[in-house]
Amino acid sequence: MPKLIIDNQEIDVQPGTKVIDAAEQLGIMIPRFCYHPALGSVGACRVCAVKFLQGPFKGVQMSCMIDAKDGMVVSTTDEEAVDFRKYVIEWLMLHHPHDCPVCDEGGHCLLQDMTVAGGHGLRRYQGKKRTHHDQHLGPLVQHEMNRCIQCYRCSRFYQKFSGYRDLGVLQIGERVYFGRYQAGTLESPFSGNLIDICPTGVYTDKPSRFIGRRWDYERTPSLCINCSLGCHTVVSTRYREIVRQEARFSEAVNGHFICDRGRYGFFYASQEKRPRYAQINGNEVSWEKSIQTARDQLNRISQESGPGAVASVGSVRSSLETQAALSRLCQKKGWQGPVYWIDHGQEMNVKTAAAELADELAVSLRDVEQADYILAVGADPVNEAPMLVLALRQAQRMGAKVCFLDPRPIGLPFSFQHISVAPQAMDLILAHLLKETIDQDTIKGLEPHEKKIFDAIPNNSHLVSSNQKLLNAVANDIRLSQRLVIVCGTDVVSETIPERAAYFARLLAKMGKQVGLFYLLPGANAFGAALLSDDAPTFGRILDEIEAGLVRALVLVENDPYGYYPDRPRLERVLQQLDLLLVMDYLDVRTIQDADVFLPTLTLYEAGGFFVNQEGRIQKASIAYQGGHPISQFSNGNHPPRSFRNQIPGKEAQPAWQALIELANENSATPKQGVRADILAWLVKTHPLFSKLPPDNAFPSDGIRINPGKDIHFRSAADRLVVPTLASESADQMELITVDWTFGTEELSTRSPHLRKMESKPCVFMHSNDAAQLDISEGDKVAVRSDTGIVSIHVTITDNMAPGVLIIPRHQRLDWQHLGASKITVSKDQIRKIREEEPC
Amino acid sequence: MNTDKNESPMTQILADLKALAIGFATTFKHLFQKPFTEEYPEYKRPLPARSRARIILTRDPDGGERCVACYLCSAVCPVSCISMQSAEQADGRRYAPWFRINFGRCIYCGLCEEACPTAAIQLTPDFEMCKQDILALVYEKEDLLVDHGGKDKQYNFYQYAGVVTDVGEKGTHIKEEKPVNIRSNLP
Repeated sequence: MPKLIIDNQEIDVQPGTKVIDAAEQLGIMIPRFCYHPALGSVGACRVCAVKFLQGPFKGVQMSCMIDAKDGMVVSTTDEEAVDFRKYVIEWLMLHHPHDCPVCDEGGHCLLQDMTVAGGHGLRRYQGKKRTHHDQHLGPLVQHEMNRCIQCYRCSRFYQKFSGYRDLGVLQIGERVYFGRYQAGTLESPFSGNLIDICPTGVYTDKPSRFIGRRWDYERTPSLCINCSLGCHTVVSTRYREIVRQEARFSEAVNGHFICDRGRYGFFYASQEKRPRYAQINGNEVSWEKSIQTARDQLNRISQESGPGAVASVGSVRSSLETQAALSRLCQKKGWQGPVYWIDHGQEMNVKTAAAELADELAVSLRDVEQADYILAVGADPVNEAPMLVLALRQAQRMGAKVCFLDPRPIGLPFSFQHISVAPQAMDLILAHLLKETIDQDTIKGLEPHEKKIFDAIPNNSHLVSSNQKLLNAVANDIRLSQRLVIVCGTDVVSETIPERAAYFARLLAKMGKQVGLFYLLPGANAFGAALLSDDAPTFGRILDEIEAGLVRALVLVENDPYGYYPDRPRLERVLQQLDLLLVMDYLDVRTIQDADVFLPTLTLYEAGGFFVNQEGRIQKASIAYQGGHPISQFSNGNHPPRSFRNQIPGKEAQPAWQALIELANENSATPKQGVRADILAWLVKTHPLFSKLPPDNAFPSDGIRINPGKDIHFRSAADRLVVPTLASESADQMELITVDWTFGTEELSTRSPHLRKMESKPCVFMHSNDAAQLDISEGDKVAVRSDTGIVSIHVTITDNMAPGVLIIPRHQRLDWQHLGASKITVSKDQIRKIREEEPC
Repeated sequence: MNTDKNESPMTQILADLKALAIGFATTFKHLFQKPFTEEYPEYKRPLPARSRARIILTRDPDGGERCVACYLCSAVCPVSCISMQSAEQADGRRYAPWFRINFGRCIYCGLCEEACPTAAIQLTPDFEMCKQDILALVYEKEDLLVDHGGKDKQYNFYQYAGVVTDVGEKGTHIKEEKPVNIRSNLP
C-alpha cells in the first residue's frame, strides 16, 4: 500500500491509485477537466498540475497521469503549480466565447468554476477567436462547439466506454472538432450522458434548454422506473415541475451514467393531460366523495355477492408501499388478487425469477462488468434494460466474451456471439449447452432431484446440429471461464427458461466457478410484485369471471390493461359488464374513460417510495416536490397569477397507498400522516424477507438486497423442469412474438414528447428466408391476421434473427392488441402483402 | 458657557442679550433672502443618472430586448424580489416570457445591475412609485421594459456572444475568425 504525503497530510492508498484520486480521498479536490473516474486519464487538459517535491518524480506533473507511490511528497498549493494552472485556464479561455449568460451549463460549469477559482477575470489576448459550426445532434442533445476545451471526454465516453462510433474527433491542432461526420440524431441510447460529462457547455440538455439555472432547482435523489434496473437519478424541480433528470452515482447499480429513456422518461409527471381530479362517471367530484362512493359500492357488492365478487389489479410500476397497501386491503376484505400481470406467461417467468434468485447467485449491474463470460438468454438489453449494454461493454472491454441466445435481431455496440433460434427452441439449446458444459464429477455429486432434471435433457436434435459449431465453441468458453454471469430475460422466453438458467447457474457454481445470475424483469417494481402476489388469480381468469357475472367490481391500481392485454375488443366488452370499475392512476390511461369512479394518484416524484429492482435490491426515491399543476401550465406560459390561495392548485391527488388505506378504513377520517409507516410496519411483520428493512433516515443510498436465501423457495420448482418439448416444426408455421423497444413501447417514456421524436416507426422483423418465401421485400406493408383481428405493419428484413419468427413491437402507435395473445403461431397464409393505401 | 466667577452679574446679562440680538438679526436678515429649500413635489430636483431607484429593462440599439433571462440578477438579489422564466425565441435569442420585480421588497441596492451581463437591467433615478395597494408594487415585464438603452446606449450582447441568432451567424460577430472547415486540413 503506497503511502504518500499530499499537502502535509499522509494517506495510504490502494496500489494503482492516481495521485488525483488520492488527494480526493483526503478531501483535496484537484481541478480537472479531462480526468473522469469512469473514463480514466489522458492528460489532455493539463489543469490537474501539482508539484512533486520528493519521490520518483520531481517538479510540476499532471496528477491524473501518475500513480501514487511510496515516499511521494506532493503540494497542490505550491506557487509554481498554482501559476501553471492559472496559465492553463487562461489558455483554455483564449477561444472560449463570451456566452455564459445564454449557456445552459452556466451555474454548474466546471470551466466556469475553475476560471473564477483561478482568478482569470480579464482577457489579455486581443486576437480573434476561433469559431466552429454546430451540428444538429437530434432532439435530446444541443451542440455548441465554440465552447469546447478539447478534454476528449465526449469521444472517450461515446466510442471507448459505450462502443458507439458515430460521434468522435475530427480535425487537428487547435481546429479539433467533436461531432459527427454528418449532422444527424446520435445513434447511442446513452447520448444524454454527454451532457453530464462535458465539463463545459458543448453538449447541453435540449429538452430543458433555456429553462433555468442549477441554483434555482430543488435537486432530489430519485430512481428511474422506466425499466427494471432501477438506476439512480437526481431530479431537478422548479415551479412545481420536473425540469431535468440526471444520473446519480451509484456504486452498485448504474455507476456514473443512465440511458436516455431514463433521463427523459419523466415527462409523464407534468403532462398537460394528466388527470388531477377525482371523477365519478366522468364528472369531477371531491376526493372524499369519490372515496365514499367507491367504498359504499364495494361494500354493497361484497355483501350482495360475497367478497370474491371484487377483484383487484396492481401494477409493477407502483411503489412497494402501494403494492403492500393493496395486498393488505385485499386480505382484509377478502377480495380476489391483487393480480400484477396481464400476461400470465410473463407472470410465471417473473415469479420464477424472484424465487430462483438466491442471495449467493444475485449480482448487481456493476458486478456484471467484472465477468469474464456472459451468457444472455432471451434478453435484448438495448430494448429491455439499456444500462445493461454499458455493463456488458465494460466486461467486453476487459476481455470478456458475450453470447446471446435470442430470436431477436440483437444490436449491441461491440462484437458478440449470437445464437438466433426460435423462442420454442431456446430451452432445448440452453439445456444442450448445459449438458455440454457440466463435467462428470459435478453430475455425480448432484442431489437426486437435480440429477433427475439433468437426466431428462434429451440428446442432440436437428436443431442443435444446425448450430453445432457455435454451440461447441460457446460450451468450451463457458468451461474455460472463471467469473460467469448468466443474463436471463423474462419477456419472450418460455416458462421453463428462467428456471433452467438458475439451474445452469447453480450447477456451474458447483463446478467451482464464480457465477452470477442476472434477470431482466418487466417493470420497475416487478420483483416486489412477485413477492407480494403469491397465490393470486390470473387476469384471464378474472375476465372470465366478469363475463360469467361472478366478479362484479374491479379495482385497477396504476395498471392499464388496455396497454397490455392482447385482445382489445374482448377487454372493452368485458369491462362494460362490470357494476363498478374503480381506477386509480397518475397517467391519462384509457381505462379512465370506462371508470365509474376514478381517483388521481401521485407519481414517485411526488409521493416517494421504495422500489425493488430486478436483483432484489430495495431502493428509495425521495419526495422531489409537492405536486399540483406546474406553474407554466397554470399560467399558460405567462407570468404566474397575482392572486393568493391556501392550496396548491391541482393537488387533490394522494399517494395510491393513501387511497387504498382510506378504502380499507370504515370511517372516512383517515389521517394523512403516518399511513406510510403503518403500511411498512405491516409489511415487515407479514413478510419475512422485508424484516431487514431499515428506517427511512438510515436507509443506505445503494439500498439493501432481499434475495431469498439458499433454502427458501416460494414454489417447489424442481419438478416443473421437464423435458423441453418442441412444437411440431412445420415449414408453414411462424412464431409471432411481441417485444419491447427502447423507445416507443414502455408506458411511461412514451408520454415524453422528446422521446416520441426518438421513436422509429413500428415495423415487423422478418428473416430474409421467410421474406423471400412470402415474396415480401423491405418496406412492404403486410397484414397479419390472427384469430381475433388484423394488424397491418411495415416489414424490416434482417438476417440477424431466427428464421420462422415474426417480431412485432408492442408499440404505442400500433394496435398490436388485435393479435389476441402476446405470443401466437400464425401460418404463412395469414400474412398478406397489402398496398399502402389499402385499408386493413 | 463662560463661568468666570470674577465677572459681575450685569456683564453676564449684557453678554447674553448680545448673543440673542445677533441670533435674531441673522434670522431677520434671511427673511429678505431667496430660500434655498427645494419645494418637493412642486420642484423636482434632477438626480444624477447613477441614482438608484425604479428598475427598468432596456433594449439594445437595434431595438431587441437585452434581457437574456440568465437569472444572475435574481441570484444576486439579497431580498429575492426578482423572478422570471427564460425561454428560447424563434430567432435563437434567449429571452424572458415573464419577468417580475416586487418593488415592495426591493431595497434598491443595485446588485442586479452590477450582475447583469447584458446591461439589460438598470436602476433609474425615478423613485416616486409609492402605492397604497402593495400588489401594485409588483411590476411585470411590460411595466419594466422601456424602448431605449438606458445608461449604456451602444452595447449589444449578441454581437460579442458568438451564438447564432438574428444578430449573426458563426464567425460574423466582433473579433471572430471564420468557422473552421472540418472537411479540410489546409490552414
